[in-house]
Amino acid sequence: MVKLNCEKPFWHRSKTSCVVIAIVVISLCDHRLPAVADESDYYRMITIATSKSSTESRSKRWKPALDALALEVSGLAVLDDHRIAVAIRKGEVWILDGVYDDPPDQVTYKQFATGLHEPLGLLRHDDSLYVMQRTELTRLRDTDGDDVADEYMTVAKGWGVTGNYHEYAFGPKIDHDGNLWFTLNLGLGLQKEQLRKVIKNESLGVAQGLWRGWGMKVTPAGEMIPVCAGMRSPSGIGVNRQGDMFYTDQQGNWVGTNTLHHMREGAFFHHPDALASMNQSGSPIHGIDSIPGGLPFPEAIKRLPQLKPPAVWFPYKKVGQSATDIMLDDSGGAFGPFDGQLFVGEFTLSSISRVFLERVDGEYQGACFPFREGFASAVIRMEQGTDGGMFVGLSNRGWSSLGTASYGLQRLVWTGKTPMEIKEMRACSDGFELVFTKPVDTASAEDAESYSISSYTYNYHATYGSDEIMTERPSIEDVSVSDDGLRVKLTVAGLRELFVHELHADGVRSRDGEPIVHPAAYYTLNRIP
Amino acid sequence: MYHDAPPLFPSLFHALLKALMLSQCAMLYPRSLCLFASVMVAIGGSGSLAADDGSPFVAGFDRFHRETAEHAAIGGRLLISELSCTACHASEDQELQAKRGPNLDGAGRRYRTDWLKRYLNDPHAIKPGTTMPDVMGGLPDDQRRRAIDAIVAFLSNQEAEYPVLKSTASNPIATQFWMKGDNDRGAELYHQVGCVACHEPDEDYPAPPYQGSELEKMLSELDPEQIEELGLADAVRRVRSVPHGDIAGKYSHQSLAYFLYDPAHIRPSGRMPSLNLRPDEAADIATYLIGDAAAPNLDAGQGDTASLVEAGRRLFVELRCSQCHHAEDIKPSVVARPLAELDVDAPNSCIETQHVGLPGYGLDAVQIGSIKSALAAINSDSTAGSKAHATMLKMNCYACHTRDRRGGVGPNRQRYFETVSQVDIGDEGRLPSPLDGVGRKLRRVALDDALKANINVRPHMFVRMPKFAGPSLNGLAEDLANADAVAKSAANLFSDESEQMANAGRLLFDTGCVQCHWVRGEHLPGVVGIDLAGADKRLQPQWFHDFLLNPGAMKSRTRMPTFFPDGRSVNPNVLGGDTERQIESLWAYIKHIETQPLPEKIEEGKVHDFELVPGDRPLFLRTFMKDVGTHAIAVGFGERVHYAFDADVVRLAQAWRGRFIDAHGTWFDRFTPLAVPLGDDVINFPAGVEFATLRSEKSAWPKTSRQAATFKGFRIDRDGVPTFLYHIDGFDIQDRIAPNSNHGLTRSMQIHRVDDKLSKSATLWFRANAGGKLKREQTHQYSNESGLAVTLPQPLDRLGVVRTIDGIQDWIVPINTAGEMSFDVEYQW
Repeated sequence: MVKLNCEKPFWHRSKTSCVVIAIVVISLCDHRLPAVADESDYYRMITIATSKSSTESRSKRWKPALDALALEVSGLAVLDDHRIAVAIRKGEVWILDGVYDDPPDQVTYKQFATGLHEPLGLLRHDDSLYVMQRTELTRLRDTDGDDVADEYMTVAKGWGVTGNYHEYAFGPKIDHDGNLWFTLNLGLGLQKEQLRKVIKNESLGVAQGLWRGWGMKVTPAGEMIPVCAGMRSPSGIGVNRQGDMFYTDQQGNWVGTNTLHHMREGAFFHHPDALASMNQSGSPIHGIDSIPGGLPFPEAIKRLPQLKPPAVWFPYKKVGQSATDIMLDDSGGAFGPFDGQLFVGEFTLSSISRVFLERVDGEYQGACFPFREGFASAVIRMEQGTDGGMFVGLSNRGWSSLGTASYGLQRLVWTGKTPMEIKEMRACSDGFELVFTKPVDTASAEDAESYSISSYTYNYHATYGSDEIMTERPSIEDVSVSDDGLRVKLTVAGLRELFVHELHADGVRSRDGEPIVHPAAYYTLNRIP
Repeated sequence: MYHDAPPLFPSLFHALLKALMLSQCAMLYPRSLCLFASVMVAIGGSGSLAADDGSPFVAGFDRFHRETAEHAAIGGRLLISELSCTACHASEDQELQAKRGPNLDGAGRRYRTDWLKRYLNDPHAIKPGTTMPDVMGGLPDDQRRRAIDAIVAFLSNQEAEYPVLKSTASNPIATQFWMKGDNDRGAELYHQVGCVACHEPDEDYPAPPYQGSELEKMLSELDPEQIEELGLADAVRRVRSVPHGDIAGKYSHQSLAYFLYDPAHIRPSGRMPSLNLRPDEAADIATYLIGDAAAPNLDAGQGDTASLVEAGRRLFVELRCSQCHHAEDIKPSVVARPLAELDVDAPNSCIETQHVGLPGYGLDAVQIGSIKSALAAINSDSTAGSKAHATMLKMNCYACHTRDRRGGVGPNRQRYFETVSQVDIGDEGRLPSPLDGVGRKLRRVALDDALKANINVRPHMFVRMPKFAGPSLNGLAEDLANADAVAKSAANLFSDESEQMANAGRLLFDTGCVQCHWVRGEHLPGVVGIDLAGADKRLQPQWFHDFLLNPGAMKSRTRMPTFFPDGRSVNPNVLGGDTERQIESLWAYIKHIETQPLPEKIEEGKVHDFELVPGDRPLFLRTFMKDVGTHAIAVGFGERVHYAFDADVVRLAQAWRGRFIDAHGTWFDRFTPLAVPLGDDVINFPAGVEFATLRSEKSAWPKTSRQAATFKGFRIDRDGVPTFLYHIDGFDIQDRIAPNSNHGLTRSMQIHRVDDKLSKSATLWFRANAGGKLKREQTHQYSNESGLAVTLPQPLDRLGVVRTIDGIQDWIVPINTAGEMSFDVEYQW
């Protein structure tokens, strides 16, 4: 990865402070367009199927409409340019044909597999569909050509399943070497019988089923390897263009807000319960004998070298409340200007966020941005179709979501119109560089008043979630705009490593006078380059 | 439209009778009840005397006091409170306390300045029907304009922030939710949740057509005089709407959405109640009312000079705005002559023509007359009933509810009151309930809760009970309770709440209750109705008793049938058919409903929804199962013999006959309850692994599953039967289990040695059966004390060994194959 040289690059014009510009900006503010640009102008939603249930999403007596397929989409696999496979939470896999039609009014459904135990992920690989069940990773194959699976082969199993409801298993996703990755949720509130099936780490005082809270991989040879630990509720996994594997975690005990992490060997992310399995055969993590809880996260990192910071924090509510799946835009531009970036699903707010990552000193860090709201239900799975459009799998049962449907399948397609957005936010030794999707209006972009920055971190503690703490307002010392208008360099005093840096660029306009659709960006500055 | 249909009276009477015979209720209930009922719902379209002349609109007055001179004083008293007369003319009478106007602390962020100017200049024209008086009447134009500029400058500087709404996991709120309203959803909500009980529906909104009864259709063909003569005039009269005014000119999306979300923080009078909207719903309705167009945001207080603002502040007091509106910390100050001392014929009165310096209400002649009647009888006594009536008039409870033959959803709004899913359960399923005798029906606590909209026992109705601001209901629950009070009956109406009584009640539930009611959220397919769980906490026992005995007598037009015609039970088999004991037993069951089983029919229906019923091909379900474990694979067959395989320990774990399994818990219950067989003859197979390598035939059988075989999955054959695949110590095993002709199971094993890892000193053994004591039933067959009989084929059985180690007797057979071997194992139980 090329390291950025942020020393006043040649394309930066030095800013001349000027009264005229200030006046222009003020008059722009007076006649400004509505505060929120319409996301649907750029990304259009197409509904393939949604349903409302008469039961509340958290009800113990939840029932789907009895005359319809309960399309609680928990896994998506693109098959070709007219079909996808869909796993649903009640334990089935269906093949849907005609899903790219617009409107999709001729979609056909064929059951491919059944009797699965709450599958929460689906992957097409070779001639099979790989599905993640609570108790095993399974390869489904149709051997007689009737489009119905007749082989349910066990690819991996053996992790602890105590019977606790919260012990979900997510995956698989495949890396560039053919390894299949999956993640194992922690149990929550284990009861009597369940406690007889746990592994204990007495010195840390933690107990969980084997490999609970771990990221695992299965090699092409079939060997299951525990890779990294400390996950709480890792409901999304995804690979980036380089082949590195990431997962998202959900706010809760020990997790201040939602996060995105790079999964790699020996990393410990946050939740100590996962360390119940630290001393089991195959564990790459050793020697953690105490947890520095009750400290600001940057302080805890100093005390515990195995603790690795997230590549991205998703500040609570500002960029979601419950991160789910990760999808790489690998469409080469067919999905708009964000080729190579990651998209992250959001359960509670029924939305999707966007992530830009870069590597600093070999470690990933980057920024997140709101991207698209208004899905019919909780977003739990995303997959890119052959046309670059995104399939979005929905189900809100058990929790709550802003989208009121219980479940469904939607598609998000780019309209071809480029939104004015902060495409990238890059760290520099003395500030940040913003890359826009369209040239900026120089006057608005050169005005330091068009921006504001704050920085904060979170507590690392056993409490559920954390407020933003130790908030400061770094000052913007200088702004310069590239000749092509696509890049803005902000020179910022007061950067802090391991803190989130929240940027608002509300005043910036495109050359056509458009406001930025989502003018906020949240950069997790683990390291200053 | 009425002039060309002049039927004569005899034929009218005939038609009425015919209509009654046709209508459904006539077949079930006494005719007299139906006659009364028909009066209450007749449809209409008759003209109205109401003048659209800009006089103040007070819903209760307009509906009940405009057309008739009767009770003029009551109407006048209503106007006195609703026009806030007592804000200046003090009165001790609680019933007459001033409604007062909106809180203006945040006016600068909430209302558009140009609208404020237009409104202040001519309130009655800009917001027809407003109860705010024109306080600048008679001022010369330029003076008036200057005063308005100053007051608007003052109001624009009232900048109280919007309340902070906290988004949580269970109650998510989108950022800038007010920008995200949806016009179509807003239209739907506006017409469904209750807005149109008071406000004007959109004629084009596609509500389902209202199917009036035969009687109603016939009434629509009568002429007004005939209707008058039949005493139906009130019932057919169109009910006018509380006018909206120019909403888009007045509000931003943000200010309207916040107002709809919590009206009380702006209008503490509670006349505009909360409909318990979520923030996104409030945004939807705001968008529907304002339109989609992004209107500029409201920025408070810009560019007004301090002196202008100060002048406005002074005028706000001088013009007596502050008597009714809250802004800054200004307290009401002016004290006019007390209400009781007013001379209604005084030349300088504020009720008739407007005078400079006095508020102008624009009252019409009927209103003036009513107020005068009220003032003439200002010291009259009130009863609980009259107080309740006064409150219901003020809060417009009558827009939805009937009481004492008054009020209810008007003829022109019937079609907007719908039952969820369009299920027909009569008007009870779509209209807010009548309040006749409600103080006798509900326990006091429940009555309070109902009026505070804290309980919703009718989730099948789209319309929502509104929440009225804090004290605005003015003791209505107490007044209703007192007004409806009856002499206390015998103290212990229902004294026997024993288990036996509860059981009897449960049986009776199946006789009829479950056909229309839910129990603890469970119900028969398609049934929508009130959940009877908690009914004992809501209802007074006496009412429950009387209602069951004769529903129609307690609630006109109810669909609740009587199960005790002429006081005799239709079910002689429970409690000897004793009516009083049976009613008591129903109460006992409801009282203990949380700990009692569901009624049998519901229990059956509940399972039926998600029961897996295998047909031609087997069905399977991976789940958590009691006695099988967390890796259970339950396999069910059309032959009604089923089993569960444990993929963790790798063994056949359980078998049963009859019905297979209920999948609801596995499919849809977040807390993953253990699945259990639905059928009978459940047999648990011996615990532990089935294959093990032993040093000798005397070695103990492994106790832990650590030495279990490795489960490899399964293949499904042409008949849909799975063959389980596993591996242990150099052997691949294929294991197909299916029902046999004796209602038992046959297990076909294929064992294949794939490498010679197995050391020469150890042998792989299969444990065919185990228990405390095995019994040889016949050649090749051993059974254990649980009744599991296992048969092995020759010559395997002869190689087998029966031995006892640590109190467990088992029958093990060696698997000695260099290549492949196949055998069948038969199970009976």
